[in-house]
Amino acid sequence: MSDPITLPRQHVMKDLRIAPARIGASLAIVAAIAWPLAFQNPFLLTIGSLVAIYLIASTSLHLVIRMGHISFAHAGMMGIGAYVSADTMMRLSFPFALSVSCAAAASALVGLAIGPIVLRLTGKYFVLVTFLLGEIIRMVFVDWTSLTGGSNGIQGVPPPFAAVASPLGYYYFALGCSLICMTFCGRILASEIGRAMDSAKEAEPLASSCGVPIVRLKVVIFTISCGLAGISGALLVHLLRYADPASFGGLQSLNLVIMNVIGGMGSIYGAIVGTIFLATLPELLRSYVELQRVIYGIILIVVMAAMPGGLVELVDKLRLMTAASRKN
Amino acid sequence: MIRLFRPLLLAIAVSTVSAGLACAQEELKIGAIGPLSGGGTAWGLATQRGVQLAIDEVIASGGLKVGNKAYAPKLIMYDDQYSATGGRTAAERLTSVDGVKYIIGPVGSPSVLAAVPVTTAAKVILMSDGYAPGILKNEAGSPFNFRMVDSNVEFAPAMIAWLKKNKPEVKKVAIIAPNDAVGQAAIPALAKAYKDSGIEVWTEMYERGTKEFTPLLTRMIATDVDLFDLNSNAPGEAGLLLKQARQAGFDKQIWQVGGPSVDEIINIAGPLAEGFISYDLFDFSKADAQNFIKAYHAKWDGTINAQTPIWYTAAKILFHAIETAGTTDVETVRDAMLKIEGWNTGFYGPLVWGGLAEYGVNHQLLQNFWITQVKDGKPNTLAIITPEKR
Amino acid sequence: MLSPVILAQVLLNGLSLSAVYILIALGFTLLFGILRVVIFAHGSFAMLGGYALYYVYGKYHVPYAVAVPLAAAMVAIASLVLEQFVFRFFYQRMFQSMIGLIGLDLALTFSAVLVWDVYERSIPPAVAGVSRIGGLIIANDRLVVVGIAAVALAAFWLFMTRTRYGLAMRAAAEDVEIAETQGIRARTIYRLAFLLASFMAALAGGLYAQIYALSPFMGEQPLLVAFIVVILGGMGSIPGAAIGGLILGFSESILSTFYGASVSAFASFGVVIALLIVRPWGLLGKPE
Repeated sequence: MSDPITLPRQHVMKDLRIAPARIGASLAIVAAIAWPLAFQNPFLLTIGSLVAIYLIASTSLHLVIRMGHISFAHAGMMGIGAYVSADTMMRLSFPFALSVSCAAAASALVGLAIGPIVLRLTGKYFVLVTFLLGEIIRMVFVDWTSLTGGSNGIQGVPPPFAAVASPLGYYYFALGCSLICMTFCGRILASEIGRAMDSAKEAEPLASSCGVPIVRLKVVIFTISCGLAGISGALLVHLLRYADPASFGGLQSLNLVIMNVIGGMGSIYGAIVGTIFLATLPELLRSYVELQRVIYGIILIVVMAAMPGGLVELVDKLRLMTAASRKN
Repeated sequence: MIRLFRPLLLAIAVSTVSAGLACAQEELKIGAIGPLSGGGTAWGLATQRGVQLAIDEVIASGGLKVGNKAYAPKLIMYDDQYSATGGRTAAERLTSVDGVKYIIGPVGSPSVLAAVPVTTAAKVILMSDGYAPGILKNEAGSPFNFRMVDSNVEFAPAMIAWLKKNKPEVKKVAIIAPNDAVGQAAIPALAKAYKDSGIEVWTEMYERGTKEFTPLLTRMIATDVDLFDLNSNAPGEAGLLLKQARQAGFDKQIWQVGGPSVDEIINIAGPLAEGFISYDLFDFSKADAQNFIKAYHAKWDGTINAQTPIWYTAAKILFHAIETAGTTDVETVRDAMLKIEGWNTGFYGPLVWGGLAEYGVNHQLLQNFWITQVKDGKPNTLAIITPEKR
Repeated sequence: MLSPVILAQVLLNGLSLSAVYILIALGFTLLFGILRVVIFAHGSFAMLGGYALYYVYGKYHVPYAVAVPLAAAMVAIASLVLEQFVFRFFYQRMFQSMIGLIGLDLALTFSAVLVWDVYERSIPPAVAGVSRIGGLIIANDRLVVVGIAAVALAAFWLFMTRTRYGLAMRAAAEDVEIAETQGIRARTIYRLAFLLASFMAALAGGLYAQIYALSPFMGEQPLLVAFIVVILGGMGSIPGAAIGGLILGFSESILSTFYGASVSAFASFGVVIALLIVRPWGLLGKPE
């Protein structure tokens, strides 16, 4: 029997994780704001904007994964927001604030509509249903040519405001939106709701008997997550000035899942680390796309077999090992 | 793994040789974008190799003569993975990190449409390929981008005119196409060209990735068409469509206004491909093509993708424009590209620009194309056609 | 359009489609039923089976009746390596197996691209030409597949119900722990099930590549089909795989011929989603 005074190992890991993580996060934010002032390079700025945009999508997916559901429809939700924002801005001349709100609302509504039905499913069934739903969404994008331009998409999507039309301007804009969204997700996870989510995942019948409204909770989180994905999609097409269905298909949903898994599904920092890793690696390994994908595959196998906590868990284990050896 | 090494060794060998030849020549970066991984690799390699062959020729003849300097062009190509994000980031990298002034490629409308805003703003010449009219016809007026391959707006009317003359009995045609970017862009133009010639059109679209067409073909046969057009289908699907159509009992003429996919179709359908007629970009049995084929096989093996001579020619046109302009300045070179109309490009005859009526700007290269027919398992030229200048 | 000849042709087409689908689904459902592993890598094994047949039959001209099982056996034996180093960690762990095997699928597919290239190849048909029965027509290579599917289904069924190993596998599928107390060695049974499933996947893949075309990405369609068939019929049920395959094959033939491809795609996805929501264990499966 374990000594009731000693904290279980989990909590030790969490505490160890929080303080250095907070310092690390603040440093990272400062670096993210400062580096363009040194390297005013449009290419790097575009990559930076893409990372910021994908961060919104992957951290919002993390909320869903934290509940124990792996959604393969997330890129489809991005797509819904993307097309709504592009269409309302271009055809109805909405200002960006209004069009991006419509984008978030549209994705959230779709999430709200399908949530109560699909969130009752678990594990593999949820994966399959969301994958098929993502495919249906993509097929709708392809077939509804009057609204989406079909497979050729919508070109000439305008930037949100004139001020952010340049690569530098867009980078800060995307970074700002990204920080707001990620903080929002982090706050949810740290709050009562977050604890309810964790309890629902750990022991659903027990949580339910303690009064946690499981399905309602899941639907709320799922809806919020889809709304955030919609914002991410809108930001993406305003950056590329182009919207097409291929950017929002099963492959992109898979990428978002991989970002979460490789980084670590246990904490939001995992999603962040995984996204930065997956978004920047292609630029470093430019000539070896196939090899890249083989490496991703192998990392996924290793992580799932040995280290479900991903890269973040690896860092923690190393830190624990060095801390332990320092004590001796 | 050997496959990775050989091109590497060859690249080292070639660059040493060309470095030797180019030692008196200053370097001029030529950018390129294309799919070098995934399903579109054949076209990306066609761009890379075609342009490289043109570069080798120029260096061997003493370099690009601009004013009183000699330049050795150097190819910098990035993979766009046949996607919009890929095209955008590749264009960004080429223009702002590598500082190129001229980009050849991409292939595929999503990639081109995403790259064009970047290259137009950076005032970089873009010479691309893709079926979407928006590539040339857009708000910016395409000041710096040119389309180097006929889209079916250019070649379909000419082919159908040939059809009317040679097979007047055709009254109804069936078109089965994928609902991807190429299919959705190509079908309206194609259907219109048929209808303008008085031929009735039956269309059906399918999801990209389908391999089983027998139900759709059964549906097609029940509508009593005289002609089956494989239009913009990818080579693999075109081959399967033809094979399964014949196996389903369709015995009328099958042809393809698009592609080309002649080699793949012969490979997949075997003897069933007999009599198949197709749009083709090049006749590899021509006398003047043999040097090109030799130069290609000196560096790489395998079948030569039919787009390779097109990109080779595109690079040659760019080089001639730079030499005519006497400077590497982008706006002067762009004007020179239009001025050299009538210049003999070699494989494709005189250079002709068109597209003013369709797109509002004369930046569409009007290229000669071939109509070939499969006889005894081999392609045979039936006609060489020049698209109408409009 | 609704003449009896066309209707009969549509049904014949449906049969040939079903045969392919059933073959693809058999290995998939076996592995799920016994090992509780959703093999996202199933498509990759089919693809490897395609390349194996390409070499054994297409390049080395081994007689067809030998080539087909030989190619499948080669892939199955090679896959034992993967079993030892990858699959073994995922048995009975649903969640990890899903993502881990997606990783395996990625690794195998893109390794295939590196080894071979992306270009599509074709395998010569076993029997060329077409057969005409009354007013109906069917390609001979499809008839071969229908024959093989029928034989495979029967053989599988006999194995699972009439042999000791089959009995052991079904016991392990019901409840592994109790089965072990009865003297069944789980590890051996897992290996056998895995071998059989890979064999079936590679067999289906070889035939699929022969009818259509061979490329590293060829496995995507079979994977999707396997999922749909097995969801319809019930994961772990062999009669379920047969029924699911027949339903999918016939409905695709009927809907596509009379209404076009879009309707067929939306309909099949829609039905599968509805089934997953209402009765996720399929028509003949068991609720967990």
